[in-house]
Amino acid sequence: MTQSFFEWMQGLSFSAWMLEETWASPIIQCMHLVALVAFAGAVLVVDMRLIGRGLIKTPLNQLARELDRWMIWSFVALFVTGAPQVLSTALKQYYSPFFWWKMQIIVIGLLFTFTIRRRVAFAEEGTLGHWPKVVGVLSIGIWTSVSVWARLIGLLS
Amino acid sequence: MRSLFEWVDALPSSIALRESLNAYPTMLTVHVVSMCLFAGLIAYWDMRLVGLTLKKVPVSNIPTRLFPWALTGYGINLITGGLLLYSQPMRYYDNFYFWAKMALMVVAGINMFWFHYATYKSVQAWDQGREIPMNARLAGVVSLVLWAAVVVTGRMMAYAGLMPEWWNNLNIGA
Ligand code: HEM
Ligand code: HEM
Repeated sequence: MTQSFFEWMQGLSFSAWMLEETWASPIIQCMHLVALVAFAGAVLVVDMRLIGRGLIKTPLNQLARELDRWMIWSFVALFVTGAPQVLSTALKQYYSPFFWWKMQIIVIGLLFTFTIRRRVAFAEEGTLGHWPKVVGVLSIGIWTSVSVWARLIGLLS
Repeated sequence: MRSLFEWVDALPSSIALRESLNAYPTMLTVHVVSMCLFAGLIAYWDMRLVGLTLKKVPVSNIPTRLFPWALTGYGINLITGGLLLYSQPMRYYDNFYFWAKMALMVVAGINMFWFHYATYKSVQAWDQGREIPMNARLAGVVSLVLWAAVVVTGRMMAYAGLMPEWWNNLNIGA
């Protein structure tokens, strides 16, 4: 089932176009990395604040609210620049364990970010004890591991 | 310059790094992750200067509270970038994007110092306000564009086949 879906993606004429057009893949990869920088900054500024570092003079929920849309839109940019690469290299991705790890951790990361992290970041400060620190560390860990597995797809698959 | 690169290329430690199976993936992965720490934070500093986000954070808070982290990321970034270069100097010697990236980093550095030692001196006057001086906004835009270009040229280094025609005609590798 899954395999035939990936074979179908690989067979699309869009995938063939991506592979034929010399500049398509490099440009999209560069955009994926620029989006990654925007995403990393938006996540990190809030995570550091959760841990008690960084911009401690600004109320946490204010920072979190302000950076929320930067985080969401740069994730959208990551998706938009990631998906065409999945299409054009579908079979390589299918056979790469790192791709599956990356996708699973992204799902976990999104669930975590939009449930627990959001609650903690938007909560009244000082009412949750050590939980904000735990959440900040987990968030940094999750997205760092996504980047590591992502980079290893290209290097080791 | 070329003889320097060739000399490094022949060093036993360079050869050892080049021939190690794990060194390149490890260095490149750490390079990318540390880039996120550095460039991610600097991007939001620049956007604060431009007036795109974090408008309620006093401007001077960011250098004092975030720069130590950004500079830590930068340090790791420079070390891993340097090691990558050390391990395959001749692969990068005739690489257009490598030299473009180095040049862009120099220009970004000049912009940073210029801003810090000129425009930023008057920060007390516009620390809280929403009216950021034009010079500071300009420094922010220039920095955003330059660091994005560093990221792009960094990724493009892998595409030895996609150098500009005029660069290939210089025949630097030969
Ligand atoms: C659903 C959204 C995403 C999709 C579909 C996606 C897809 C991809 C694909 C197909 C690649 C190329 C891998 C290869 O064959 O070499 C890639 C590279 C990469 N991705 Fe993503 N990605 C997404 C989100 C993310 C996120 C959230 C992060 C980090 C937090 C991330 C970080 C990276 C990194 C670091 C690379 C390697 C960049 C390079 O040097 O080319 N991606 N992505
Ligand atoms: C002295 C400083 C630096 C040196 C010597 C250096 C060197 C390198 C080298 C040798 C590579 C490997 C290229 C390849 O084999 O494909 C690389 C990749 C890269 N560098 Fe740097 N670098 C430096 C600083 C930076 C900075 C400051 C940034 C970003 C702000 C950056 C962003 C990148 C990116 C995005 C890649 C591509 C990573 C990937 O393929 O996923 N580098 N760099």
